[in-house]
Amino acid sequence: MMQETSTTGTMQIESERQIGDNRREMVLNMGPQHPSTHGVLRVVVTLDGETIVATDPIIGYLHRGVEKIGETRRYSQFTPWTDRTDYVAAPLNNLGYILAVEKLCGIAAPERAQYWRVIMAELSRIASHLVWLGTHALDIGALSMSLYCFRERELILDIFERFCGARLTTNMMEIGGFSREIPLGLTDMIEDFLKIFPERQQEYSDILTQNPIWIARTRGIGVIEPEAAISYGLTGACLRGSGINYDIRKAQPYLIYDRLDFEVPIGTRGDVYDRYLVRMEEMRQAMRIIRQCLDQAPTDGPLMLNESNYVIPPHATVLRTAEDMQRHFVWVIKGFEAPKGEVYMAIEQSKGELGYYIYSDGSNMPYRMRLRTPDFVNLQVLPYMAQGAMLADVVAMIGTIDIVLGSVDR
Amino acid sequence: MSQNPASDAGTPPDAQETIQLPALDTQVAAELAPVIEPAHDQTGVQEIDPVWVHSGYWGPLDEALHPAIVALRAQFGDAIEGITFFRDEVTVRVRAESLPEICAFLRDTPDLKYQMLSDLTAVDMLNLRDEPRFDVVVTLYSIPRRWRLRLKAGVREDQPCPTLTTVYAAAGWLERECYDMFGIVSAGHPDLRRMLLAEDWDEGHPLRKDYPIRGYKQYVQPGFAGAPRIRETSTEGD
Repeated sequence: MMQETSTTGTMQIESERQIGDNRREMVLNMGPQHPSTHGVLRVVVTLDGETIVATDPIIGYLHRGVEKIGETRRYSQFTPWTDRTDYVAAPLNNLGYILAVEKLCGIAAPERAQYWRVIMAELSRIASHLVWLGTHALDIGALSMSLYCFRERELILDIFERFCGARLTTNMMEIGGFSREIPLGLTDMIEDFLKIFPERQQEYSDILTQNPIWIARTRGIGVIEPEAAISYGLTGACLRGSGINYDIRKAQPYLIYDRLDFEVPIGTRGDVYDRYLVRMEEMRQAMRIIRQCLDQAPTDGPLMLNESNYVIPPHATVLRTAEDMQRHFVWVIKGFEAPKGEVYMAIEQSKGELGYYIYSDGSNMPYRMRLRTPDFVNLQVLPYMAQGAMLADVVAMIGTIDIVLGSVDR
Repeated sequence: MSQNPASDAGTPPDAQETIQLPALDTQVAAELAPVIEPAHDQTGVQEIDPVWVHSGYWGPLDEALHPAIVALRAQFGDAIEGITFFRDEVTVRVRAESLPEICAFLRDTPDLKYQMLSDLTAVDMLNLRDEPRFDVVVTLYSIPRRWRLRLKAGVREDQPCPTLTTVYAAAGWLERECYDMFGIVSAGHPDLRRMLLAEDWDEGHPLRKDYPIRGYKQYVQPGFAGAPRIRETSTEGD
């Protein structure tokens, strides 16, 4: 038996057997420390020559038990953990969780805070898509894309840093809105970004969209039929690339998305190239959304809901009145008791439908906290996509699903 | 709690339960001159724009008007054990044995078309009731109607739950995760292995309510067996 294993190698042959005169079936292990698996994904590939017979993605290397942690933390304490699930789109994860808690409690943030939530969510979507584009193109061989994409992502991270002080794990959203005022100069930073980014994105598009190598590696690869996409529960660009129009921002609009004018790009062939086009267009639409939000958002007004049960009292009154100081104390030490009931709140995250299911038994901690992360559900389509494909295309298929293993494993 | 909280223009059903703190002495308040009005001067929750009140995303909140409930009652009768409404959400409690037929019916009925399995998970009801121990929670989505629907089925600890992989391909990994985290066996699942934990994990199913937060066995880093621990127990509730 041919041995190509090494102690440090990330691609190693698990087993081989003869299945014909000149044919051998080979089981190849890929990962979990393989650069193209975007983290710690392990894929066991069964090959007949170069053709894939079966694929078995093995996950869980980054499992931290976030759901169990959520059941042992008070509602306000769990927000930082949502950052660490999908760490390239932390504000979107914050948003989904906070909206779920607000729905459970029956409250909503003031209008101005909703606009700023949308701005931050769409910036986060662009940042997430930039990471996807850089790493996906890097996997396929366009090395320079990752340098360019991370350069523009830096601008967004600077905006996050100005807004909340953190760049990656932002912990940005709070129950009831934002407790701090929008920092000075933040609008100018976003305006600068809106000026810079479209032409930069056009450069990426010029590099890739008509590039014959890019088309050869992506066109017709990893085709997902629409029926299969629905049955596998795919969401996000994986579903829309197959021609199904399902974007939660349009289908079940939350926050102020129903006031905004934007389009949902839909693919026609359902291959890797179409999903690339869909995500590129989503970035352009996100720019439109941010532009409209900056124009429409009220310039003054409350950013935090003034509510006495579920929302932390404003800092100014905490220092001035005994009642609010007591409430602040109780809110921080004991938390609030949410109403009994169960909610499922889904938002359109950069990768698909991010759902938080909270079962509340009326105490100050959720009885059951469930994270329905898009990439976990999307990743199970990989065996379907890879069936009969070439080994080199598996890399493109993993990239096109757009996984973040922190979010897959939770 | 009212049956239809989304309809009454933003006032949440629990607004009456808001703790009414005593009003401030006006003299003192004037001297302090708070920049922001204290929250307890407000009556309950701020007025919420009707746009933000999610309504109609799960269909009408009425058993007689919701087409899925009407169709299920007509088709399955006694397999439907109860309907619950909370906020704008619709929960249908069904018998676990008929879960695949109900899902296939909801998927294939042309008027409903709940084609997408959004989520499949479970809740361990150990602290809340005696039997059955688990609730399998299935969240469906209908692309043409743009509605969600939640099905809940009670499953005893020793009782296998029929698999949904025959109806939705998405159930494959979700049921594996359910098995991994709760120990709920999906009868008929083609590939029921552990999903997130290691294949040789022998310490049970961590999302059960009787599973300790730090596990049954304390993990000690090799070489640190005698090292003093900074904090012995979690400061959080168990």
